[in-house]
Amino acid sequence: MNAIEVHNLRHQYSERVIYEDLNFSIPEGSICGLLGKNGQGKTTLVNILMGFLKPVAGKCLVLGEDSHDLPPATRTRIGLLHEGHLAYEFMTISQTEKFYSGCYPNWEREVFFNLVEKMGLPHNHKVANMSCGQRSQVVLGVIMAQNPDLLILDDYSMGLDAGYRRLFLDVLHDFSALGGKTIFVTSHIVQDLEQLVDTMIFIDQGKIMQTGLDDFMTSFHKYVFLNKSELSLGKDDIITGFEQRGEQVSLYSFADTQQVVQHLTTLGVQTKDLRKVDMTLEDGFIGLMGKY
Amino acid sequence: MLSSLLLKEWLKLKRYFIAALLLNIGICLKIFFDIRQQIYSEHSEMVWYQAIHIQTVLYQDIRYLPLITGLVLAAAQFVPEMMGRRLRLSLHLPGSREVMLFFSLFSGFLLFLMICGLDAVLIYLTLKMYFPVEVAVSSLPTMLPWILAGLLAYFGGVTVLLEMNWSRRIFLSLVFAVLISMLFSGSGYGWFIPALPWLILLAPLALLSVFESGRRFQERGV
Repeated sequence: MNAIEVHNLRHQYSERVIYEDLNFSIPEGSICGLLGKNGQGKTTLVNILMGFLKPVAGKCLVLGEDSHDLPPATRTRIGLLHEGHLAYEFMTISQTEKFYSGCYPNWEREVFFNLVEKMGLPHNHKVANMSCGQRSQVVLGVIMAQNPDLLILDDYSMGLDAGYRRLFLDVLHDFSALGGKTIFVTSHIVQDLEQLVDTMIFIDQGKIMQTGLDDFMTSFHKYVFLNKSELSLGKDDIITGFEQRGEQVSLYSFADTQQVVQHLTTLGVQTKDLRKVDMTLEDGFIGLMGKY
Repeated sequence: MLSSLLLKEWLKLKRYFIAALLLNIGICLKIFFDIRQQIYSEHSEMVWYQAIHIQTVLYQDIRYLPLITGLVLAAAQFVPEMMGRRLRLSLHLPGSREVMLFFSLFSGFLLFLMICGLDAVLIYLTLKMYFPVEVAVSSLPTMLPWILAGLLAYFGGVTVLLEMNWSRRIFLSLVFAVLISMLFSGSGYGWFIPALPWLILLAPLALLSVFESGRRFQERGV
């Protein structure tokens, strides 16, 4: 069964079309990362999935229910992290716990305090007086204590230093290890997702590409070569992305080395010392999406 | 769930409630001392003439207090919810939007009624001390339009805060401003009595505008 299904989704702000006929699904138990440059509609998609935005057309199913009309019982099964780690800033830690424990019948108090007590703050500490990282821990505690079946995290890494990001990843790893849990996550720190996700959705100008992490990392390649002239290579069937720093040229492609060399030769590009190099997910993201 | 919702509203409201309560008590005390001073410093016949014959309402100072109280309570409850669109946190809770909004409004309404109820009691006791009981009793229908204006200000404030579209915000502000100004258009004791039952019956209709703004918030103005 799919935890999330998106069918023929279309959305636009005034004249600006964000998605046109978007389709994808995320099976239960998978960890899916939604990647895209700023302004490509990642948060918009999360808002649509959580029923905070009515799409112009199309249908989204979350845990089998229409995302725009999620019944309370289904919402209980969804842990949602809003961009910027939204929390009630007028509450203290203990008030936050008291508030949410009354809302969720399966609330796990120990899970909340185990996460929050790592910060060493007193329970009467106000959320408004916390740093972004500390607030993220409270929000994470709230979500985890709900023991949800589906986690939707909108840019969990925003404003977090390496330590808090690592902590977040550790918790998410432990959560997914429980089995049957689905995570749908967006983040602007692409390399973090490399350690977490098994499936990725790249979104660019309203179009998406869904792929397994391993498939992507094995089928997409980064090539480097030297070229003294300033190149201007456009995207085509072979070249997916390209960047040049001085003489060093990086080229991204789904094609193998032979095809790339042949293609560049046809274009009249010198390919001195061309070789395939190891690629991080961030390299892959830049190669696929471009820098701007 | 219900106790959690009420806890949240109380945490937002308590400071503003206490401040509004103190302000209301302060104004009521001022009215008490003003009337007492008038009685003792002027001829009591003069005060009687002013109060009864030319219908000078001696507690005019309280006229706009329910209005201010309603606006303050609306802002105290919903400004924190609208900053960063935090209301989404509540809308994700396992409960219906209408129930959640209803209990938010119920909390504010209850505190508003407590403050206005206290005002009414204090003014009644003050008048009863120096005037016949009929004069004291007449203070309630005289104050009711002001209290209704405060209630409309509360619902209107919430409606406008929840609304995401600026042109609609301006339109709704104007509608509520006109309705509220009607309730301040007369003067004298119990001038609105004939219309009061209808106004009390119609006041809950303002709730519809709050629920509609809540729906539009969730759908982001669609």
